[in-house]
Amino acid sequence: MTTLMNIQTPYPSMDDARLAHRARADPEAFAELYHRHVKSVYRYHLAHTGNVKDAEDLTSQTFMAALEGIRSYRGTGPYITWLMGIASRKRSRFFRGNRLEVPLDAALHIPTPSLPTDKAAARRLQMDQVLNALRNISRDRAEAVILCFFCELNFVEAGLVLGKSEAAVKMLISRGLHDLRTRTSLALEVDYE
Amino acid sequence: MTCEPEHPLHWKWIMNKDLLNQIPADEQRIASTLYSMGEDMKVSPNFEWELETQLIDAAITRTQPVEGWHTKILAPMGWVLFAICSVYMLNWIVRSLPPEQPTAGSASSPEISFESNVRAGNICKGTLAASHNFSVSLTNQNKTGFVTLDEHETIGELRSFSWSPNGQQLAIVGNTTGQGNIYLTDSASNILQPVLSNSEVGYMMGVTWSQNGDRLIAWGLQNKATVYLFNKDGTGFTALDLPVEIFETPQFAPGNESILFYGADSSFDGLFQAMVNGSQLRMISNLVEDEASFAWSPDGSRLAYMEMDRNLGEARLVLEEFDKGGKVVIASLPIPKGSGSSIPSSANLIWSPDGKALVFEFGRGITDRAIYLAYADGTGLVKLADSAHAPAISADGNCLAYISNKQVFLMDLTSTPLSSTTAPSMLLANLPVGRSIAAFQLDKLAWGSGTNPAPRQP
Repeated sequence: MTTLMNIQTPYPSMDDARLAHRARADPEAFAELYHRHVKSVYRYHLAHTGNVKDAEDLTSQTFMAALEGIRSYRGTGPYITWLMGIASRKRSRFFRGNRLEVPLDAALHIPTPSLPTDKAAARRLQMDQVLNALRNISRDRAEAVILCFFCELNFVEAGLVLGKSEAAVKMLISRGLHDLRTRTSLALEVDYE
Repeated sequence: MTCEPEHPLHWKWIMNKDLLNQIPADEQRIASTLYSMGEDMKVSPNFEWELETQLIDAAITRTQPVEGWHTKILAPMGWVLFAICSVYMLNWIVRSLPPEQPTAGSASSPEISFESNVRAGNICKGTLAASHNFSVSLTNQNKTGFVTLDEHETIGELRSFSWSPNGQQLAIVGNTTGQGNIYLTDSASNILQPVLSNSEVGYMMGVTWSQNGDRLIAWGLQNKATVYLFNKDGTGFTALDLPVEIFETPQFAPGNESILFYGADSSFDGLFQAMVNGSQLRMISNLVEDEASFAWSPDGSRLAYMEMDRNLGEARLVLEEFDKGGKVVIASLPIPKGSGSSIPSSANLIWSPDGKALVFEFGRGITDRAIYLAYADGTGLVKLADSAHAPAISADGNCLAYISNKQVFLMDLTSTPLSSTTAPSMLLANLPVGRSIAAFQLDKLAWGSGTNPAPRQP
């Protein structure tokens, strides 16, 4: 077993495209890409499934598929958009397989030991509301909100994943935020701190 | 709207300033809250460690060559087989070719003739402007390449542009660290001159000219329900507040008393018309869904727009006699049915200079997008180019410029029959690389007039 956990990879300053090219033959390059993007992929799946176990399973599948298909990444667009494309397909397959979207419960991983219990509970409730609301608004809007705010893609990158223009993504975001605000009632008006 | 340090989520605002700057002010709070929620979605360290271990093991297994006699012999055998097959295939192709026929008449093929005419400046006169990857470029004098404006990048990004009605001056949207301005080209040197002296309009998205070329209208993201009107020398600045959000650069209607734009009120999105004094808002169609999907005919009598009817499952190109109110559908294309379905988008709807045809792009991604020509009398719809976008028709109506695979092509629109397989095309030039990656939907081509002075060679 080999692990690079907590080991500084030799490519901290190399851009994603060059890393991806190198990752065809160099496991450490792929590890660096993994470190850079695991958070975005995980959040994407968690936002869609609302369940830590499924999110982890889909994150694993996404990175395994990325490793298998790394040669097919040509560097014509940002690596993160290519990766999120894989994540999107894995998510589609997951929900196509007649698996109902799991209701949110205590499975959400919110490690906030420093917070008082009531505040942590309020936080969980709020996230519960938001993720539920995301499932009930238009798919395109929810996807744009998740990509930009949870996965931290910019509008251009989200547009590349969604196959839409930057302006269209901005429109989706604007509508999505409006929908969330109405569907989550006052939940989001409270400071999330 | 700028970031306010005293905000309780200050560190978030700094971290995502660029993104937040592009979000309307009234949505920034909820946006910040979502960011904070994202931060709480932490990956379990155990899971991260285990997955990394699995990935590294899998990667090492993949990259280790399998040593064995069969692997050593298979590759050379494959190459030998490939070479033999290639020789046989080449031999067969050469034998099956018909004997070469002498060309009757002119020694040059139609394609070469079209290209020669373009290069010689006999047709398709005028400068072709291109915006790509947040830069704007103009064709050089011989139309063999592009010259990039603001080469030294004194402006952060050049987002879009609009030719003046006489085709001699460019208005360009430039943004530097979230603050936008409109820049005009100097007719002699193409140096960019800022129009607004004290620009506080935030990130700008687009600009268009009034039909007499005296005024400009622009819009930005800081307040999406506001458009900015001003004279081309920057005077007469007016911020016009509208009761709807704007999603695409407005255009002046003929007479310059009203504007049209793609936007949304609390219930619908669609194509709206508003008077420039802010009164009399009306919706023209709630089936218009895309940007750049409406255009005035050259004589200003007809408005063309693309409707997406999700119930019927068709995209319709509609012509409306604007004063009389009559509507007619001149072409349609199939789209998936249902309100929740993901449909192709249309963009860059433009008229031919003689008002007899319209050209537009239609499709989902960059590779399955095609350019179509629809005759304004409803007699036909022709696919002109596959895997292409950003169409632009030259002022003489002879050339269609378009982008395909990061290259700019010209098509002879005078050829008959006109189709993607018969019309001669030529490669004009590669697109300039640009400044940073932008979505292909931001790519745009447009022709200036024939008298526009070409820019200096670099």
